[in-house]
Amino acid sequence: MSVREIVAAVCIIIGLFVFLCSILGVYRFKYVMNRIHAAALGDTMGIFFVVLGLLILGQDIFHMAKYVLIILFFWLSSPIATHMIAKVELLTNKDCEERMKDR
Amino acid sequence: MSENKSFWQRLKSWIDGEEILIDADKYISTRERKERVSYEKAVSMERLRSNSTLYRVLCVAITVIFIAVMLRVVIDLPMFGDPNGVTVNEVGQRYLEQGIEETGAINFVAGMILDYRAFDTFGESNVLFMAVIAVLMLLQRDKKNTSAAEDQEMAEDEVFDSQDSKLILKKGAKCLAPVVILYGIYVVLNGHLSPGGGFSGGSIIGAGLILYSAANGQKKMQTFFTIKTLTRISVACLLTYCGCKSYSFFTGANHVGWEIPKGTPGAILSSGFILPLNICVGLVVACTMYGFYALFTKGEV
Repeated sequence: MSVREIVAAVCIIIGLFVFLCSILGVYRFKYVMNRIHAAALGDTMGIFFVVLGLLILGQDIFHMAKYVLIILFFWLSSPIATHMIAKVELLTNKDCEERMKDR
Repeated sequence: MSENKSFWQRLKSWIDGEEILIDADKYISTRERKERVSYEKAVSMERLRSNSTLYRVLCVAITVIFIAVMLRVVIDLPMFGDPNGVTVNEVGQRYLEQGIEETGAINFVAGMILDYRAFDTFGESNVLFMAVIAVLMLLQRDKKNTSAAEDQEMAEDEVFDSQDSKLILKKGAKCLAPVVILYGIYVVLNGHLSPGGGFSGGSIIGAGLILYSAANGQKKMQTFFTIKTLTRISVACLLTYCGCKSYSFFTGANHVGWEIPKGTPGAILSSGFILPLNICVGLVVACTMYGFYALFTKGEV
């Protein structure tokens, strides 16, 4: 195993660990606001580390460019979707802050 | 003549929901009240749940029965990769060996669904179109027949849409929607060369349209995409598909004598009818996706 493969493996494992945390969080928390915090973690940081690992393993420049585009797409779309869900919840639920406190 | 006209007017008002029964009181009093049989008491999930051991035993028993039935079926299936199995026959072999030569498509799946089995795909596109027309009939908001509460709700929605700036979503959609739609067009046009094709590319285009509509509001979407556009595009695509495949049908399904040029496999303009058929299917799917979204959210496209 070369150094490149080891670095890539470490990156992918970190990404999978982040995904594990995010899945645990989605089941652990009871309220939407707390849950989307956990869910968005996997969609941004988890995707970033997994794709970074694949990027290090990438063979030619076109593969790497595609991976960069995947990260860009997820980082654009996922936070915006999370933001919209949070906004709707904030606008429609009056006792939102109290619900956030009960774990 | 006057009676006929009044009948027409009555029918019209009845359809618009304005008809009031004249002898309403009499009508109601003559009807007898039926004794309600309370099924809820007899077969109540609540009661079953409160009896927790029985509930658990029943759950496990039903699940085990289902698993047993499924596993029994699996035993009778041919083994995976079995050379004598029913799935390994001359049809698949012919597709793989002579597919490129006969259809001109490098993507075998496109060659299969849009050349060998094109009538099947035609039926699928028709199902999509009929589904969107049925949803349109059921859910489209009737402008003559709305209650005051609904009107007020619509007005509030519009005020909210216009005043709420949605800056982040708008900027995001401005970056993403054109790219998403462009990618969908690429997938549709490259259907015979790479994985993808009409159905997947069309749903990507539909997702792009939905993103644009969610960010900029239905009003702005209606400047270029109304219900007329939707029906016209869908019907034109289905008729084109029908025309292309009728041609194949009347020339004996093999285009004997009236060959469509196949081109060199791998070029973008190749493989006969597959490219135009992919475009037709893609447009129908995109229109259906966006139509469903618009009708379920606002009740109009």
